[in-house]
Amino acid sequence: MAKDLRVTRIEDLPGPKSKEELEEMKMPYEEYCRQQFDVGNEFSKPQALDGIRWLSTTMYIFTPHSVANIAEMGAEVIKIEMPRMGDPMRHTSPFNECYLYPLHDSRPMTGAGMGFLGANDSEYYITMDYHLDEMKEAFYRMVKMSDGLTECYRPGTFDRWKQSYRYVQELNPRFIYVWGGGFGYGPKCFGGSYDILGQSHAGLGSVTGFHETFGGHCAKHSNWCIDWYSGTQITFGMLAALHWRRKTGLGTMIEFSQVQAATRCLGYAAPLYGRFGIVRQRWGNWDTQLCAHGIILCGKSDFPDAKNPQDKYDARYAMVSAFQDEDFKELCAVTGNQQLYDKYKATKDRVEGEAQVEIYAALEKWAEDKSRSEVVKILQDAGLLAEPVMNDREVYESEHFRQRGSIRWIDDPTYGDVLVQSAYSSGLMAKTPRRQTWIWRTVGADNVKIYHEMLGYPMSKVEEWYEKAWI
Amino acid sequence: MCDIIWCKKEVDGKVCNTVNYLDPYCFWNWEGKVNCAECGAVYYIHMIQGHMYKGPEERPGEKPDTSPLYADKPLDGYTNYSPGVEGRTRPFQCLPRDIYLGVPDMVKFSVRGRPVRGWRPQPPSAGIAGSMPYSWDLKNGSPEVWEEYQKRLNSGEVKDW
Amino acid sequence: MAEKRDIEINSRADTMDLMNPEIRPWPVTPPPTAEWVMENTYAKRKAEDFGKWSEDNLRFEYAFAKPEALQGKRFLCAGIWRLGNKFCTALLAEAGAEVINIEPPGGDPLRKLTPFGREEYMLEDKMTGEKCGLDFLHEMRGQKSVTLNLETEEGQAIFKALAAHCDAVIDEMPPGYMDNLGIGYRDLSELYPSLIYCNIAVRGTWGPYKDKLSKFGQWTLEPFGGCANAFVHNTGFPQDQLPRKSGGSPTRSGVWFADYVAGEQAANTILAAMYWRDELGGTGQFCEVTGAESQLDILDFDIGWYGFNGSIKARTGGWDPNLNQYAWNPCRDGYMMIGGQTDRLWYRIGMCIERDMPQFGRLIHEDPILKEMGARNALEMLTKTYTMTARWLRNINRIEAEEKLMEYEIAAGPLLFIDEVAEFPHFKYRPWVATIDTDHYGTILYSVPPNNYQMRTPHRVKSMGRPTGFDTYEILQKYAGVGQTKVNELKGKGVI
Repeated sequence: MAKDLRVTRIEDLPGPKSKEELEEMKMPYEEYCRQQFDVGNEFSKPQALDGIRWLSTTMYIFTPHSVANIAEMGAEVIKIEMPRMGDPMRHTSPFNECYLYPLHDSRPMTGAGMGFLGANDSEYYITMDYHLDEMKEAFYRMVKMSDGLTECYRPGTFDRWKQSYRYVQELNPRFIYVWGGGFGYGPKCFGGSYDILGQSHAGLGSVTGFHETFGGHCAKHSNWCIDWYSGTQITFGMLAALHWRRKTGLGTMIEFSQVQAATRCLGYAAPLYGRFGIVRQRWGNWDTQLCAHGIILCGKSDFPDAKNPQDKYDARYAMVSAFQDEDFKELCAVTGNQQLYDKYKATKDRVEGEAQVEIYAALEKWAEDKSRSEVVKILQDAGLLAEPVMNDREVYESEHFRQRGSIRWIDDPTYGDVLVQSAYSSGLMAKTPRRQTWIWRTVGADNVKIYHEMLGYPMSKVEEWYEKAWI
Repeated sequence: MCDIIWCKKEVDGKVCNTVNYLDPYCFWNWEGKVNCAECGAVYYIHMIQGHMYKGPEERPGEKPDTSPLYADKPLDGYTNYSPGVEGRTRPFQCLPRDIYLGVPDMVKFSVRGRPVRGWRPQPPSAGIAGSMPYSWDLKNGSPEVWEEYQKRLNSGEVKDW
Repeated sequence: MAEKRDIEINSRADTMDLMNPEIRPWPVTPPPTAEWVMENTYAKRKAEDFGKWSEDNLRFEYAFAKPEALQGKRFLCAGIWRLGNKFCTALLAEAGAEVINIEPPGGDPLRKLTPFGREEYMLEDKMTGEKCGLDFLHEMRGQKSVTLNLETEEGQAIFKALAAHCDAVIDEMPPGYMDNLGIGYRDLSELYPSLIYCNIAVRGTWGPYKDKLSKFGQWTLEPFGGCANAFVHNTGFPQDQLPRKSGGSPTRSGVWFADYVAGEQAANTILAAMYWRDELGGTGQFCEVTGAESQLDILDFDIGWYGFNGSIKARTGGWDPNLNQYAWNPCRDGYMMIGGQTDRLWYRIGMCIERDMPQFGRLIHEDPILKEMGARNALEMLTKTYTMTARWLRNINRIEAEEKLMEYEIAAGPLLFIDEVAEFPHFKYRPWVATIDTDHYGTILYSVPPNNYQMRTPHRVKSMGRPTGFDTYEILQKYAGVGQTKVNELKGKGVI
């Protein structure tokens, strides 16, 4: 409708339009963020991927995580496991100490290990032995009713079972099909893979850990970081494919090599080798391009009397960063190492290997009679950047993560009171926040819901399949 | 002999026959003396790149620099010494708790005192074809845990964090 | 093959050019041919059809003949120093979006970083002689460089004009910086309600432990994120295996890993927000992704484990406390990774080793404790298993170990360094790394995006980083209507 020029509307005037807006405009940035992200009220808001349905025929961490990412953003995900056995990740537990026990059918002593946590949350769980011809129809029905699938079987396995992209694109041209695994087409196509293989085979391990000059070995990132990180990159491929499908109505197939993803995060390693033949090496707790910017060992633990050995022996490390000239000058002054500043005034000089060895040795010498928190406090009081290397307990107790909602307790319908650090921490969204509904479900927990209610098979059939261990 | 020491020392007319495991990262390049976890015999070894460059040579009467992390007796039903048995195996400090189990920890309450299903056995499920409900009937399924939880609630042991 | 020639080396400077790709092209030896792979890989598994179909439809070399998934999407990025924003926008650019990267007039300080401060390892722009560090060039792939001083009014006006054309703005400036300048989400969302705005940070732009600047203005960079979420605490060898300072300390990742994780989750957040906006009738929104938290998300079960029984994850070096076997251990010429946890794989590894070393079967397979899958994860069982495995490994080199284990179809692989990665047959066949002949910097070896292998919309690298402000004229003319005369004038005033 054309605007009536005789009327002055508040909407047309510059500046705040209402009292609320006035408040908002004056609000400090910090407050504004809190209000926008509104932690704790996630369930009062919609979800970004509502209406997407995805099949997850995955195991371990890598491919499951690629799908959990979209489940946390609202997609309906159906995780399919082998009847009775389930995902092998259910059998992983640190030092064999930590399991959750569901109500059981046949194996009262078998729990699900904590290793399974975080990679498959907020999904429905069904079972299917899909290499049986008898189950093919049910599988195809699901393909027709879904937007995509992520699988992790050895290449060619799903093809042999007539459920690879070659077959399913005929049933559903909108279908987005992801294979995630170790290597992809090529000479080592059929090689299996794990996170640790990505870390070692693709070069990440070669740049992590202390150099042998210092008596060290290549160190594995203790977390399965390449599994998770590669899974998240698959999610990116899936989301990009969804956007393209909005335009064209066509799906695609993505073949994603997890091992390769580890080479992708090596920064300057490839170009440096390609141009100069220099092979990037590991450099311990320091940085190859910045100095001072490293982790130092302090003389005393912050919690010498704690019971837990991680607090007692290892609350001793601090990250110290003063690489700009003024910062470095101040660092040298505070730690009584004026001579180092005189010697290494230029960034270029102090980043050299020998200089770093000298600088960090002097810093650790200075920290020898101090605890971690003393070191951090002295440097922070001088206006420098220094923080403790925190352990899991300290992370759990961090007010920061609690206020931002990254760590929280959930009331899991199957297992009860579980602390989770996943989903909410992978990114805040003001209007369509991520969320976690349950940590995982038992093997086949939603068989009736999917086979009967969604795919329309009579209960007698569902029960028969279950008896035969087809589902 | 290499990065295990299969101790063949005769003690009281019996061969010791204990296998002492010299874990690869600690001993890959290492020189010093290490004891047998069973009989206490002290061996000098010099390892380079995982190979026994010298030793193991018995050094009676000398003190060991370190101990193996783990040792067992395969000829004796695999009886063993876990890490940290005083005077026999090396302590291992870098652990997640002050206690070390190596077997499943039976947990009924989380660190903030609310029920979590971390113990076995659990009552059988009644679901069709493996189905599982979206609720956990603690009160009727595990009444003893329910009761303990009520006590904890009343005594204020249940926290938000 | 290049010709043989005599050279004289008197200093490091004399060696600099010997590896130049013009003299020593990559790969040094040719990759296996497709026919070789057909015969030796696919045919051996009776998967010739499938192999052919895969290669015909997914090959890297066909990418440029296919459309781009995010063609027509546009992003504006204001972020310096860190790799989070660069990786996020690199992913978006690889998928076909246009990315405008705003740098301060002097350029992103990340451009100046080079290993051990060595300028000779920076690349020189053929036209201007400007030097640029390799991290920056590698991660700024596909993006356009525009210089703009956001602290000036003219700069802010141009920034707002550019934002009008974009689906999302990526902000990796210090907490509240953009908001203070009046070009943060609060202001832009008034102008463009459908705009998505995503902060990237190390610990956050708000909250009690948000990112700090030193009193001299130095930024918080990785690995501060990894230190704040226990990732660093959990990595490295136990002091029981190696002395502290010789590897027996909590250890940072060799790369700025949390930045990469934040970057990819930011890209996902943005694409999901766009899906909601475009497909489900939503609007723009405010988002924030941090390195500390997105890495916390992927910290396995660690925090949950603390909640379970108060355990605080300890570092475990090259071993994994959750699976056995699942570790790398030293071998004759480096480190060898072997994995296989389920009974099926565990015994296959054992059979392979036992063939060379019967004692392995005696001590490992016959031990009753090791017969149960869960019990194998106890610390003493890891110690026993890996001691015996390393005893086998010390006699063989990585390639021998790989060949032996591959016969048993074990997931195993050598720990490779970048030169070996670049020459590993499978990796150069796909390829893992590839060269691109750039206009400014000559031939550059780069890591290929793993999403490059797709049937319909493969992601791809079209260019590496650009010289500072290279695209300023084009972008300002096209999207802000600011012509060259005005640009030059603004340059004089320090705005551009």
